[in-house]
Amino acid sequence: MKKLTLNRRRFIGTTAMAGAALASPAYLRRAAAQGSGEVNIWTYNDFVPESFKEQFEAETGIKVNIRLVDDQGKQFNLLAAEQPNPTVDIMTVAGHRFLQFIDSELLAPLDTDRLSNWGNINPTFSESDWATINGEKWGAPILSGMEVLAYNTELVSQEEAMTWDTLFSEKYSGQTAYIIQDMMSIVMLMMGYDGNMVAYMDDPAKAAAIVEEAKQFLIEKKPLVRKYYDSGAEVQQMFVNQDIALGHSWNGPAAALINDGFPLGMTIPNEGSYGFVYTYNVANNAPNVDNAYTFLDAILASPEIGAAMTKASGFISTYKDASNYLTDLEKKSTSFPEEQLANLQFFRAEANEMKYGLVDPAVEAVKAA
Amino acid sequence: MTYDASVRKDSDGLSRATGDRPFWGRLAGWGPYRAFAALVTASPRRQFVILATFPILWLLTQHLGPMLQMLRVSLVDAYPVAQDAPQAFTFDNYLRFFGDRIFWMPFFRTLTFAAVFTFCTLIITYPVAYFLARHVSRRNQMLMLLLLLIPFWVGEIVRTYAIMILLGNTGAVNLVLKWFGFIDRPIPFMYTSFSMGIGIVYLTALYMLLPLYSALEKLPKSYNEAAADLGAGAWTRFRRVTLPLTLEGISSGCTLVFLISTGFYATPVLLGGPSTTVFAETIAGFFHVAGDEWPTGAAFAVIMFVAALLITGVFQRLMKALRKGDTA
Repeated sequence: MKKLTLNRRRFIGTTAMAGAALASPAYLRRAAAQGSGEVNIWTYNDFVPESFKEQFEAETGIKVNIRLVDDQGKQFNLLAAEQPNPTVDIMTVAGHRFLQFIDSELLAPLDTDRLSNWGNINPTFSESDWATINGEKWGAPILSGMEVLAYNTELVSQEEAMTWDTLFSEKYSGQTAYIIQDMMSIVMLMMGYDGNMVAYMDDPAKAAAIVEEAKQFLIEKKPLVRKYYDSGAEVQQMFVNQDIALGHSWNGPAAALINDGFPLGMTIPNEGSYGFVYTYNVANNAPNVDNAYTFLDAILASPEIGAAMTKASGFISTYKDASNYLTDLEKKSTSFPEEQLANLQFFRAEANEMKYGLVDPAVEAVKAA
Repeated sequence: MTYDASVRKDSDGLSRATGDRPFWGRLAGWGPYRAFAALVTASPRRQFVILATFPILWLLTQHLGPMLQMLRVSLVDAYPVAQDAPQAFTFDNYLRFFGDRIFWMPFFRTLTFAAVFTFCTLIITYPVAYFLARHVSRRNQMLMLLLLLIPFWVGEIVRTYAIMILLGNTGAVNLVLKWFGFIDRPIPFMYTSFSMGIGIVYLTALYMLLPLYSALEKLPKSYNEAAADLGAGAWTRFRRVTLPLTLEGISSGCTLVFLISTGFYATPVLLGGPSTTVFAETIAGFFHVAGDEWPTGAAFAVIMFVAALLITGVFQRLMKALRKGDTA
């Protein structure tokens, strides 16, 4: 009998296909009735599993056009420039950036009654406080991520990786990397402040002083860092090339490396860190609204699809029971011990206008220094 | 005349009247075409206007248009804006640069890098161009130029990644040095001004090489031979004959490379480090930020554009004066 060998890629493909096939009857029949067309999606790399996309297109006749984004700000600007006639139907907005998009009338409220599979999302994400704004839902949570300290396990011990201080230590001078904007929030947290700045909404002077302190800290530590980076792919490449021994990272890119067998570990350090949730959102004035809802309902259809998204992106699925379809290694790379999770808090949006009004110039100052 | 008459007789136009004559011959005899040609060539002025229309439209829409749009954006208080939202005229975006010193560092760093890398590119490519123009046979010059062009068949990003593969901690250079026993630990070439410089010199070399080759190739060998007959040594011949007569090529090459270097974005992002942030990255930052920062980015882009043009203008003047001085 021929031995059946499943490599990772094939396994992902198989599970996603199986998931999509299981989920297909309900949504596919509706979609077929609606006829063909297209749906335009702006999203991050690997957030739409390729096998799901292929099957969705084949069975609904709706062509899925994906434009990759790597930054929430760029996405905001693109959409703002295109309104009131955007080319996009579905975008991928982080939950803590909702307010900005909503205030600029870039998002349409999500009609969850049109999503028969809405209940497949873990209520921790779909019903949390940030998910409802002005009495409306604005996005379907798909993946959850967090800011972690990633480290090469052959060069850095887990004990060292339990504090952000190691990232700024002389011992690893020239072997670290981070995203400055994200580190500003983390440095504030390290210093014992509220990195969301919600606590200082009534005291802008104090907020400015805190941002200034964090900025000075990062300028002082600038000689120790190897690279300020922007995208997950960059930090993965630096780890693989052994250009860095440790760095701040989103858990997704780090988990993807772990799943590929790279000697990488990640922690939520004792000082704490921030989490965020990516959501699929329907753009205001979207040109293919019906197709957008067909796509959303399809991608929410089964935990297997959520697991496939986790396997491909490394971020944690928001779907109920998605972890049942992960291997032990994948489960390990997308989960954290309880005591570390206790240090995690989610990014919040309430003070964003004040926060980023202070943080953005500070980031430029750190880069320029 | 028989030909014309036959065409005129045929009210159906091109096909039946012209039989199996070549296409261009048939076209030339086609009534509407003849009428159009007569209209176009009726006067030299009209001919000029019609010929110039397409290039002018191209320049206006594809070159000047985007720059004017960027200039417009730099003079408003918010962009992009929601539909029907008001926009006000302002100079604040320009004042922000002059009022905040943090932006000066990447600005002057960019100009310094561009000048240094331009000089390095000149020093590296001049001998190559000299060898190509003066010592390679005419027959092989095209082949050599083609070989030099090969890396330019792929895009900037791919070539930048090639540099990363070479200079990384596990890259070819470190591996070779380690293999020969020169080093124990990899040398951190990447994410420094060195790696950025290598990348920019590599990417811009052709823009320097071609003007230099063109200038050197035009230089008659008899000039150097005459100088040698008069007793000038090799260095004197180069300094007094070859170099002055290739100043035009140097000027063109340096201008091209300098202007390109001031605008590089992807290469510094990929190869540069924390201390090599260039102005293009600062400008890009304003376009990435979610909000109304595009006007500031546009103003900064205009400032860099004007500064680069001013510097190259002064440089061209200097080179012109130098050329005049040499020929006087």
